[in-house]
Amino acid sequence: MLKVYFKELLELTRDKKTLIFTILLPTLIMPVIMFGFISLGTRIVKKSVDEDLKYSIIGSGHYAQLAEELKQNKKFKFVEINANDDAEELINEGKIRFAIVIPEDTKSKMAQGLSAEIEMLYNDSASTSSILYRRVKNTLEALVKAETQTRYKNLGLTEEQGIAVNKPIKIIRKSTADERENFGEKLGGLLPYILILVGFSGAMYPAIDLGVGEKERGTLETLLLTPVPRFQLVFAKFLVIFTTSFISVFLSLISFGLMATVFGPAMISGLAAGGNNDIEQLMSALSTITMFDVSLMILMLVPIAAIFASMLLSVSIYARNFKEAQNYMSPLAMIIILPLILSLLPGVKLDWVWASVPITNVSLAIKEIFKGTMDLGMLAVIFASTTIIAGALLALCNWWFQREQVLFRT
Amino acid sequence: MLEVKNLMKRFRLDNKTIKENKKKAKELLDVREEGRWFNAVQDVSFSCDPGQVLGLLGPNGAGKTTCLRMLSTALQPTSGQIAINGEDVVAEPLAMRKRIGFLSATTGLYHRLTVRENIQYFGRLHGMSEENLEIEMNKVFELLDINSFADKKAVSLSTGMKQRANIARTVIHQPEVIVLDEPTTGLDVISAKTILDFIESYKGSKVPVVFSTHHLHEVEKLCDKVVLINDGVTKFNGFLDEFKALNKSGKLYDVFIQLVENKEVA
Repeated sequence: MLKVYFKELLELTRDKKTLIFTILLPTLIMPVIMFGFISLGTRIVKKSVDEDLKYSIIGSGHYAQLAEELKQNKKFKFVEINANDDAEELINEGKIRFAIVIPEDTKSKMAQGLSAEIEMLYNDSASTSSILYRRVKNTLEALVKAETQTRYKNLGLTEEQGIAVNKPIKIIRKSTADERENFGEKLGGLLPYILILVGFSGAMYPAIDLGVGEKERGTLETLLLTPVPRFQLVFAKFLVIFTTSFISVFLSLISFGLMATVFGPAMISGLAAGGNNDIEQLMSALSTITMFDVSLMILMLVPIAAIFASMLLSVSIYARNFKEAQNYMSPLAMIIILPLILSLLPGVKLDWVWASVPITNVSLAIKEIFKGTMDLGMLAVIFASTTIIAGALLALCNWWFQREQVLFRT
Repeated sequence: MLEVKNLMKRFRLDNKTIKENKKKAKELLDVREEGRWFNAVQDVSFSCDPGQVLGLLGPNGAGKTTCLRMLSTALQPTSGQIAINGEDVVAEPLAMRKRIGFLSATTGLYHRLTVRENIQYFGRLHGMSEENLEIEMNKVFELLDINSFADKKAVSLSTGMKQRANIARTVIHQPEVIVLDEPTTGLDVISAKTILDFIESYKGSKVPVVFSTHHLHEVEKLCDKVVLINDGVTKFNGFLDEFKALNKSGKLYDVFIQLVENKEVA
């Protein structure tokens, strides 16, 4: 059996496609996703914070101070528009970024100490629209604050009393979750999603090569005619696919770990300089993940890799040719993605019900490990049940391999 | 000695074919189709003594490959017997595989391994010691003129080179019976000659060789015995001279046509 195992491995290491899917892609995918997207996101945010914004004011005469306050911001570029111009159209055409609409009654409302309703028109569908809104709000902050203080004074209130009038009862949110649990809840679902898909893609190509690939090359029949028990051949092939799948997952996790521990601090300083405090907190949360946690994650992915290896080998050996194998594997990938998506849904938490759903349970368990809130008892049950499923699929694969109709299917 | 008695193999037809057959008139059905079954080989018997070369003839779809696959243990016969030196092949397929060398018509090599690595791999799987493997490899490589490309990856070889490597793989474990399915199909004259010479080298040895072919000149050149099957049934089983004598012309081609088309002896 080992002879078959090592020969298959040797052959796979001589195949560029396998090396790309098993080693290069899993190693790069984490840094690309984490660093790439974070860096890109930070750059976009930074650009949104610094860029010049063209704007217009409709009814500037109704509250001159406000118009003046906006003009003070050097990054805001005022654009005069005619009475006939449609501000919304100008925004949607990209000629201006926002418009302030000051109603006629503003001056009188302000004089009476009432609340003036000033509209800010902007395109809220843009991904950076919240930054735009914040920039305008911050620019007008001083004006609003000065007006508030004047009103407090007129009413004979101190600033503290004024605040108390505005908010007689203040509810302060205090989370009992630490940084890691917090980020784990928000981002922890993404990690198993990526790892499990990496495991699947790492198994897919070798499975095709070792199953239907042997059929197409005409080596399968010759192999079956060696005096090696059929189960040993199946098990050796299964082990090779399992190895490649597991190596893919392992490398992804290692590259993720390296990123968090070795390159993380360097990234923090770079990204924090862009004004992104969330990144700093995320990196600090990641640094609390221990080797024990990583080992648990790896442990949970072992039976998953075994499930993929058995499933894909069965499909591959059934297919008549490479193309047919790919046709079967594409829907199989969808079947794998579905329970993964389930684990990402809000409100789906690891309990005994979800622990009984294959793949979803492993995904949720990895998320819990990431959060640092995993119940080890439940983890053991999930590991055992997933291992049993993997064993059953391997037995099915072996039975499949005994059938002449499958092996000599034309 | 290789003995084959009343060999039969039936396959289950797929549902689509069964449905289509139901719509067909009885006369249009293949004579080997029986309800949901297809009798690929119905009744084939022959024997081949050590040192004899037996040519298995028949038109396409006659059941030659199925027959040879049963000899090789790739397929299990539905009924019938196969024995090598009196030992039942069907009952102990795993043990008997060491004693059979089989070359399928669709056989191939591992493309990313060299010829040497391919042969070594199969030799090891047959339980050969490294020392014995080395000795046998040198011998077979010499006979099949493989040394010049032994360390080239299989993917870079010509069809003829690949087939020579396949033959080497078939015989590396010194089988007691050699079974070759159309070994010269698609080969150029020189490559085919190398393989035919190699088969000929077994004449008079302790090893019986069974090979299927569509090239009647190969039968003329090599075979001691001939078996002709059609529709999965043995139409002729005997010595080459007896086969030739079935037609006054003495030509293999005429006898072949005569037997396959069920014509009277000319």
